[in-house]
Amino acid sequence: MARNVTNVSQTEEVSSTRRVIAASSVGTLIEWYDFYIFGTLAKIISEQFFPKDNPTAALLATLATFAAGFVIRPFGALFFGRLGDLIGRKYTFLVTLVIMGGSTFAIGLVPGYKTIGFFAPAIVFILRLLQGLALGGEYGGAATYVAEHSPAGQRGFWTSFIQTTATLGLFLALGVILIIRQTLGVETFSDWGWRIPFLLSALLVGVSVFIRMKMSESPMFVKMKKEGKTSANPLAESFKQKDNLKMVLIALLGATAGQGVVWYTGQFYALSFLQNACNVEFVQSNMIISIALLIGTPFFIVFGALSDKIGRKYIMMAGMLIAVISYKPIYQMMYDEANLKNKTEIVEKTTVEKKEAVKGTDNVITTVTKKTFADGTSYKETKKETIPLDEAKKAELAAAGKLKPETKKETTLPQDIYIKMIGLVLIQVIFVTMVYGPIAAFLVEIFPTRIRYTSMSLPYHIGNGVFGGLVPLISTRLVEATRPAPGLPPADPLAGLMYPILIASVSFVIGMLYISNKTNNMDVE
Amino acid sequence: MSAIKKLFGIVWSLMGIGIIPLVIMQAMKEIAAKPSEENWIFWSIVIVVLMPIIAFSLITFGVFALKGEYDTIE
Repeated sequence: MARNVTNVSQTEEVSSTRRVIAASSVGTLIEWYDFYIFGTLAKIISEQFFPKDNPTAALLATLATFAAGFVIRPFGALFFGRLGDLIGRKYTFLVTLVIMGGSTFAIGLVPGYKTIGFFAPAIVFILRLLQGLALGGEYGGAATYVAEHSPAGQRGFWTSFIQTTATLGLFLALGVILIIRQTLGVETFSDWGWRIPFLLSALLVGVSVFIRMKMSESPMFVKMKKEGKTSANPLAESFKQKDNLKMVLIALLGATAGQGVVWYTGQFYALSFLQNACNVEFVQSNMIISIALLIGTPFFIVFGALSDKIGRKYIMMAGMLIAVISYKPIYQMMYDEANLKNKTEIVEKTTVEKKEAVKGTDNVITTVTKKTFADGTSYKETKKETIPLDEAKKAELAAAGKLKPETKKETTLPQDIYIKMIGLVLIQVIFVTMVYGPIAAFLVEIFPTRIRYTSMSLPYHIGNGVFGGLVPLISTRLVEATRPAPGLPPADPLAGLMYPILIASVSFVIGMLYISNKTNNMDVE
Repeated sequence: MSAIKKLFGIVWSLMGIGIIPLVIMQAMKEIAAKPSEENWIFWSIVIVVLMPIIAFSLITFGVFALKGEYDTIE
């Protein structure tokens, strides 16, 4: 009888934890989706809202991409982290979800630059900042909330579901965009179809808010509040008291900084490298990343659960070390597999098509060259020259060096190389799951309940937002530095890996020396 | 282990201090060579956001390590 009662109670506990995980994860997933559709559609958004000929709008475009990614996220972490430690986890991460959903939906409604002028980029910039602010508050709340509902000894497993959401959010964003783009066609999608993924967010957020409203507050927070142990000033306690600040620094330098660069390299830089260094065609490159993400995602849970058994430290550190050692060979293989210089061209299949058309005051010459290679690779190069009909303007642009043609290179890989590429990206996604799977449990366990939301959110968002978020900017810059002259290919297309390798190496050494492998029981202090 | 942690404390502090002139000098050199808007934005982001975070966190962390604040962590 007693055993039956225990079994029923355990079943109820597991079922309740599952509900908590599902409700938290769905909301966090939608927040990541909202955040990533802006980044994935950056080119179209730039054309719609931030025209290149307006320098202020162009500056806003850069700031919207980067400011929301790193400057605002830590502020969101501080603002909402403090609220979460003062008034509770549930209501705080409900608010972040509404802000994120509202601003994403609103981006889908903002008229373009052609309609309302400078107001368009200004409004989009503000909405993007709100997105970053909301994201800064969401993750810490969800991870804390789930961890505080999870039984001791299983936190790595349960919180790993929250860890899948960032990758699944990216997957969802890529998937929705690809489906809508394929359904509507490239032209319609660029015209107005890009708004659909933003507008769709309202529906997703509505469902998620409804589910979250029904959830109860974290039991640890409720207990702490009843006992009057909540912090009066979470920010001061988190960052002014030496005992806590030293743990914030360990979390940042020994874990989240390295994790951030591995995360961004394995997902975003891999996509950028496929598209820009390997010139892999848009749909194929996105499919490579999407399939690798889908196959790799269960490993977040594998490594989260494993961290409950052998500790968090060595899994995270192993992920960083293997990434540091293998990034160069992996990217070299990716580059070699797509490099046309290594392939034999079937010259008789090469076609060149030239079209001329007058558009407004310009003569537009489009030259399309198609090549086929012996291994099944096909290559398409579209060169577009826009030459003013007015001779004086033409001479003026030529003198300023502005008559350069726009060239678009697209390589479509054959099946065997396509699969090999998926494998190479998948290896990187596995590194991501090793460093990221156990990190939520690690972060929540090193900080006390009274200031947990605030303390864990800041190092997480600095590590991911600043160190990780800067991977595309710094890595692109490092590659550009090796370019002998404009128009020529870079001398070292792998130079961009130096930044993530350096950061992950330092993080690995600090983590190995200073992080404990012991897990904390997370009692309410 | 405590001795190694303390010794590395000096390394982290020196890295934190060293990064400041290194980044500023590189920024000045690159902006002087090509004073484009792109260069200004890039180096502004590095100097205003990334460098202070790296420098402050490494110096503070190094000082804590040197003082033995992490010796009790196993």
